[in-house]
Amino acid sequence: MQAVSTRSLADRPTDLGTVAARESALAIEVTGLRKAYGQHVALHDLNLTVEPGEVFGFLGPNGAGKTTTIKILLGLVRPTSGQARVFGLPASDPGARRLVGYLPENFRLQDWLTGNELLELHADLANLTREERAWRIPEVLRLVGLGDRGHERLQSYSKGMLQRIGLAQAIVHNPRLLLLDEPTSALDPIGRREVRDLIRALSSRGTTVFLNSHLLSEVEMLCDRVAIIDRGRVVKSGRLDDLVRGAPELMITLDCVDADVLAVLGRFGRVLSHDLTSVRLGVTDASVASVIAEVLPRSGYRVYSLVPVQRSLEDVFMGLVEGSRL
Amino acid sequence: MSKTLRITRLTLKEAMSRRLIPAGIMVSFLYIVLFAVAYNFAQDRGVQVITGQRSRALVSIAMASLTLSGLYIVNLLAGFLALFLSVGAVSTETDSGSLHALLARPMRRSQLLLGRWLAYALICSVYVSVMAGLVMIVAALINGYITPDPAPAIGLMVLAMLFLVTLSVFGSTFLPTATNGAVAFTLFGLGWLSGVIQVLGDTLNNASLLNLGVTVGMFIPSDMLWRSASYYVQSASVLAATNVFKGALPILANAPPTPGLVMWGMLYPLLLLGGATFIFSRRDI
Repeated sequence: MQAVSTRSLADRPTDLGTVAARESALAIEVTGLRKAYGQHVALHDLNLTVEPGEVFGFLGPNGAGKTTTIKILLGLVRPTSGQARVFGLPASDPGARRLVGYLPENFRLQDWLTGNELLELHADLANLTREERAWRIPEVLRLVGLGDRGHERLQSYSKGMLQRIGLAQAIVHNPRLLLLDEPTSALDPIGRREVRDLIRALSSRGTTVFLNSHLLSEVEMLCDRVAIIDRGRVVKSGRLDDLVRGAPELMITLDCVDADVLAVLGRFGRVLSHDLTSVRLGVTDASVASVIAEVLPRSGYRVYSLVPVQRSLEDVFMGLVEGSRL
Repeated sequence: MSKTLRITRLTLKEAMSRRLIPAGIMVSFLYIVLFAVAYNFAQDRGVQVITGQRSRALVSIAMASLTLSGLYIVNLLAGFLALFLSVGAVSTETDSGSLHALLARPMRRSQLLLGRWLAYALICSVYVSVMAGLVMIVAALINGYITPDPAPAIGLMVLAMLFLVTLSVFGSTFLPTATNGAVAFTLFGLGWLSGVIQVLGDTLNNASLLNLGVTVGMFIPSDMLWRSASYYVQSASVLAATNVFKGALPILANAPPTPGLVMWGMLYPLLLLGGATFIFSRRDI
């Protein structure tokens, strides 16, 4: 994949009136969103904001409500209650979709078209003029690494190529907001890196990216802020740095872990997990480690190691998602 | 409107790419050739065997019946095409997910639905017009049987196809493709049955039976429209003959359609299309 060019698609003249009004609006604003399918509630009172220009990670296990949220943002699904707005416009308004590019999960397409024809179709529906389509389509094909494959039928594309052409149709009209639902799930490691580079390049030009993913490492590499959703509720959201470097933790290895030592450690913080010889302790201040190092030997325990732990997003995610299932 | 037409173009291109149109043309050509051969054979035999004036008139009526049968089969074939073509109008792609990216564009769902409908309506209208026209031409060339009023006959057959396409598109907005297919074909059959019931009621002078047939026929007017079309294919002498055998040929009508039926034939697809748009615009995708 190649770097994003500086040539840009101006808003159509018909958009200009609403562009000014949208400049200050949040890219995504979701308030009290609820979606029920009969007895099954897919989303409970979901609240979410995404600032313009952010790369926002939306994380959650399968069936958590990620895709339902994206579909509501695109007006494909009607919420039972609550509001979803895109750049200040109601999500159900087709005008909002002028500003949005969307790559569905497991992108399926009209596979009897060629790559060029698919992009022609989407660019046309996104209101690009014939002249704009003429230069933009070859450009996006180059961007996603399919420069010379546009004339081939999609039936002959590999899984990875289909994902790339899916990405190409999502960015063909240079959207202000990109909704990506598991964009790298079908790609090999090289393809994943290329998609990450492309997302970074788009982001550097001011495109807001809403990334739906369960690939935690990817979110960690790309996103400014994340929200973790489980069973239709946001269980945690915030800046990635704050989430990962939130409350400090200590990993204590000692000769024996029993109820007494857990009670002692419980005075200094919250026991997150333990086994026969180690305890993971959530504390408010890592400096408490020196006190623990003195107290445990006095109580008759041998301490082999006591180290502060840097949490990964996976730790945070597992803690939240597993915690809510206990 | 331009987005609607863009979807129409896309749907027509799909029909071409999936070889539906080329295959349809080939099979239909085969049908017309077979019809011409059979017609020619029947004509030759008739001329050889029949000598008397009265018998010649009978041959002429037989040839007219053959023309009507040819058109009836065209009507059936076009009906199947209409249903097959549009049975998954939006349901197949909604289920597979390939509609999601399209509907994420600044386009109303009604534009997508109308675009699809226009393409199907166009294919079926052209198909039934060309096929019916060819049957009429073959009849005229081989036997000299001139269809008295080809335009209203073809027009009514087109209306029947528009109804079937719209019925099928309507079902696809809320039913899975296979279920919609089963329902639409059953209704198509029910429409045919309602025609038989009407003819029986008329022949037996049984008002209840006639009303039942007409009531069902109003909801599924495909057969009523075909029978109305058949009236315009029959010459005066053929009409006189079918009047004698009234009831024996439940696929034919021997009276022109009422203006009410023609109006209904035009209005009903529009109502169904409105209903389809209403349902499709509100459902979750």
